[in-house]
Amino acid sequence: MKTRLRDGVIKKLKLTDSWVICFVLGFIMMNYPFISIFNKPLRPFGIPLLYLYLLLGWVCSIFIVYLFSRAERHKSDKERS
Amino acid sequence: MLNVDLVWGTALLYIALLFLVAYYADQRQKQGRSLTANPTVYALSITVYATSWTYYGSVGKAATSGIDFLPIYLGPTLTAFSWWFLLKKIVRISKQNNITSIADFISSRYGRSQWLGALITVITLMGIMPYIALQLRAVSTSFAIITGYHDFHFGFLESISPFSPHPGIFSALLLGIFSTIFGARHLVSAERHEGLVAVIALESIVKLVAFLSVGIFLTYGVFDGMADLFERLYERDPALLVRLTTLGSPGGNSYASMCTVLLLSMSAVMLLPRQFQVMVLENSDESHLNQAAWRFPAYMFLMNLFVMPIALAGILLTGGVRGADYFVLTLPMQEGHQWLALVAFLGGFSASAGMVMVESVAVSTMLFNHVLMPVVTSFKPQNWFPALLITLKRAGIILVVLLGYQYQAIVGDSYTLANMGLISFSAATQFAPALIGGLYWPRGNRTGAIAGLVLGFAIWFYTLLLPSLVHAGWWDTNLLVSGPFGIELLRPQGLFGMTALDPLSHALFWSMFLNISAYLAFSILCGQSEKERDQVKKFVQVFAPENGSPHRETKRLSKPVTIVQFVNLMSKFIGEPQAHAAIAEYLGEREIDGRGGVSEFELPNLKRFVEKTLAASLGGAAAGAVVESFLSDIGSRMESVYDIFSTVRTSRDQSREALYVRLRASEIMNRSLDLDIIIEDLLTLILREFKLDLCVVRLLNETGRLEVRTYKGEGGAELTAEERLLEIDTHVGEAFLGRRPEFFNDTAFISKPFAKEIFQREGIKSFAHIPIASEGAPPVGVLSVFSRSIVGLFTEQFVELLESLAGQLAQAVHIVNEREAREREREQKEAALLENARVTRDLELAKQIQLSLLPLEPPGVPGVSLACRCVPASHVGGDYYDFFPRGGELVDLVMADVSGHSVGAALIMVETRSVLRAQMQAIRSPSEVLGVLNNLLYDDLSRAELFITMFCGKYDTARRVLTFSNAGHTRPLLLREGGWQELDADGLILGVEKRVVFEEKTVQLAPGDLLFLYTDGIIENENKEGEFFGVPRLCDLLTELHHEPAEAIIEEVLARLNAFSAPRPLQDDVSMVVMKVH
Repeated sequence: MKTRLRDGVIKKLKLTDSWVICFVLGFIMMNYPFISIFNKPLRPFGIPLLYLYLLLGWVCSIFIVYLFSRAERHKSDKERS
Repeated sequence: MLNVDLVWGTALLYIALLFLVAYYADQRQKQGRSLTANPTVYALSITVYATSWTYYGSVGKAATSGIDFLPIYLGPTLTAFSWWFLLKKIVRISKQNNITSIADFISSRYGRSQWLGALITVITLMGIMPYIALQLRAVSTSFAIITGYHDFHFGFLESISPFSPHPGIFSALLLGIFSTIFGARHLVSAERHEGLVAVIALESIVKLVAFLSVGIFLTYGVFDGMADLFERLYERDPALLVRLTTLGSPGGNSYASMCTVLLLSMSAVMLLPRQFQVMVLENSDESHLNQAAWRFPAYMFLMNLFVMPIALAGILLTGGVRGADYFVLTLPMQEGHQWLALVAFLGGFSASAGMVMVESVAVSTMLFNHVLMPVVTSFKPQNWFPALLITLKRAGIILVVLLGYQYQAIVGDSYTLANMGLISFSAATQFAPALIGGLYWPRGNRTGAIAGLVLGFAIWFYTLLLPSLVHAGWWDTNLLVSGPFGIELLRPQGLFGMTALDPLSHALFWSMFLNISAYLAFSILCGQSEKERDQVKKFVQVFAPENGSPHRETKRLSKPVTIVQFVNLMSKFIGEPQAHAAIAEYLGEREIDGRGGVSEFELPNLKRFVEKTLAASLGGAAAGAVVESFLSDIGSRMESVYDIFSTVRTSRDQSREALYVRLRASEIMNRSLDLDIIIEDLLTLILREFKLDLCVVRLLNETGRLEVRTYKGEGGAELTAEERLLEIDTHVGEAFLGRRPEFFNDTAFISKPFAKEIFQREGIKSFAHIPIASEGAPPVGVLSVFSRSIVGLFTEQFVELLESLAGQLAQAVHIVNEREAREREREQKEAALLENARVTRDLELAKQIQLSLLPLEPPGVPGVSLACRCVPASHVGGDYYDFFPRGGELVDLVMADVSGHSVGAALIMVETRSVLRAQMQAIRSPSEVLGVLNNLLYDDLSRAELFITMFCGKYDTARRVLTFSNAGHTRPLLLREGGWQELDADGLILGVEKRVVFEEKTVQLAPGDLLFLYTDGIIENENKEGEFFGVPRLCDLLTELHHEPAEAIIEEVLARLNAFSAPRPLQDDVSMVVMKVH
């Protein structure tokens, strides 16, 4: 079950469409009006909300690209074997 | 403050290290063990994006305007999502076309436009120069801050020079030289600069480590973590914290500016010349993109993690935002950590140096390819060009760096420089529509791209650069307030009354709006040139899989160019060794014909290869121009081939017409066995289906000449009049002997004078001679086709079709020839049989005649009874016997054997008989007879190489005495009561010597004696065991038959002989004479 899910995810990540969707989604999430959700003078954990949101969003997107590259590498591994 | 000598020393040591690293990487590249061809180094080199503007400027921006420094680095992270399809496509195209810069990339896409390349170069120079200036200024400013001196306070220099050089010019020169050494080692810009990349990667590590060190020190050493910093600022100035960390508050950042900066940084990371250089040109493997896509954002994240904390720490520690740009340097110093400050200085220097090096190489390549090359190519290429070009390119790098220095010296320390980063980004963003459109929109054309760029650039200049110059005090500030000539609508920062946006967003909106609109509008309104369409395919469809249909050449060179000419051309630009290496690689697997050229169909490819090779050094536009002017100099040009197969292709590689013609041709071949009808029909078909004027078929005749068999079409009396010798001087002969099609697409360029004259008189524009040959067999003739109207008729496909028709024709000729040969052979066989029968009949006749020459019956001689018999083995033989009765008492007996059984032997036997009969008229003794015969026959016998054995005896019936001589004949047997003897007398066989004396003997016979004369055919008769019949066996037989009558003896001997040799017939002629004495 777990491997099937993993394979499924890897398969979806290989699609160029997935890259485009993530690209568009990222752009939306960094712009008005979406960003206004976090544009508040709050400080969870002592850190301003917007700053925290952008930093965490950044880490998330890096992680997603990392997954993408893993999926691509997986593919080239398979092609090689 | 740090000791100036310490800073100097450290910086020089660091630079020395960079030199070493670059040198080492270059060496490794030469050895083929690349140091930099891995994803990590690739990702690190992309981080040249983070310049000193990031290193120092981000903190300043965070301290003054707050969170909007972040989108500058969030944007690139977002674009990383597009790398897998966008950057990969750009990289693939660049590698396939030897792209040298972003200007080259865009201008190549739009038909290798020189103008477009030059325009992009100008925009880049104006937009990027201040950015380089910013880097140089950062170096000198940071130096001043860390040492307290505003010039290079260098003890050594001070002692020899009255003034100290500005640190800016010093670093500018140093970086310029560095870039020259490692960025322009060769003229080829499309190849990777590993030394440069290695240094950039190292510098990227240094700047990250330095920045993190400062950040960690301030956040966790001086303060108590990030939350602590925010808390303290909140306590001190809550409004400031809110302004810095939210959007949309009055005086702070807006959503629009957030979006603007995001867009600018997204395009900048792809489009800035240095980014294009490291991401596209220095990429060694497409798969590295994958890894870089997350490593680069991760680097950016780490780089920016402590920007906000350092900014806050600066505000808290210094109490304000004054000098916030250099908090990274000043805070460690303020806290008393000089060493940390020195590290921070090195990090800042790295950030500046990396950017200046890559940018200067990238910009100078553009300058060289798109501004200098068009000038250079307008001169005739010379042998010293390679040296000149590499010098120009190197000088270009120094020039770019010095221009940057000059700029910062003139503009000075002002508002302009600080904002230059984003202004540069905006300039680079102008390339986006042309680039993205060029990659994905086939209709996008040159006019659109130029129009869009010009408009976008103009707006950028007017709304962004001009105001910044005004702020620097170069212009009357009234321009900003009330617009040019007092027209408010045209105010640079409120164009057409749009005042709601901040200047950057305003400029981005208008420039992009007009840029994109112009690009789209002109692309739709205007068409593309053919050259452009070729390029579109290479760009838009670079990933299109080869769908099985082979590439169809649609171009040809009007006058063939040899390989040597192309090599000479390349040598004049890239140097001789490089040119030879390039052509060797190209020709590796291709066929070269006898004249040292490639086939005509290969020429367009060769031309493209030459263009591509030159493009790696000169840029696509210049390379195209160089090759074009070279071609026009020698009177050639690229032109479209006449597309004879205009309809849709129905199969993999054949058009419907081609299939139809092939089908019809097979029908013609099968319909008739008459070669003339076949050829006639085929020529009619070819003439009707293609736009030809004359078709001729020549076949090889027996005398080895090509004879005109049939021709169809108009005119051409001279072409069909005579036979063609198989000589290499004629095109026909060349096609036949060379066993390959010989065709000219333009008779104007024929080199054979005789042919040229004829073609001019006949008005032939193009022609082809196709050898008529089946696979692997030598040709049997030549199919020639001529056109009077179309130049460039013979495409690869058409010639292939003609070849295939000629092949079919060869089959037909072959079949007809074979049939004729079979017919001839049969007739010959028949004739031979007839002849044979005739000879047999003649021989049979001869045999009858020969037999009739022998006495049928022995003469009746008193006192003896005679019997004789001859059984020839073959038709004619050489055995002979005769009786000559003389009166009542004497009888001569002769038994002879001519050697061999040939007709010759028979004739000699006849001659012998005649001579003998003549000589027997006189009464002579046997030895005389033999002597006379030998004398007479000697000449004939030796001429015929034959000889005769002969026994001659004279019997006196009255006295019963036998006188005899023997010329080597088998000795006759004499049987008497109680025994037998052989009659022997010496004598040489006839025909050996001219004069021979024969011994003559006599023997007294008694009644009852039996004389047996015979030829050696009896005793040499063999049985199947190989045993001879032999004399003893014969004697025994005769003894047994002694008392039988003569005739019966003969019959019995013959019967025994046949029984002995059975089942085989007798091998030799058998003759015998029996004489019984009464």
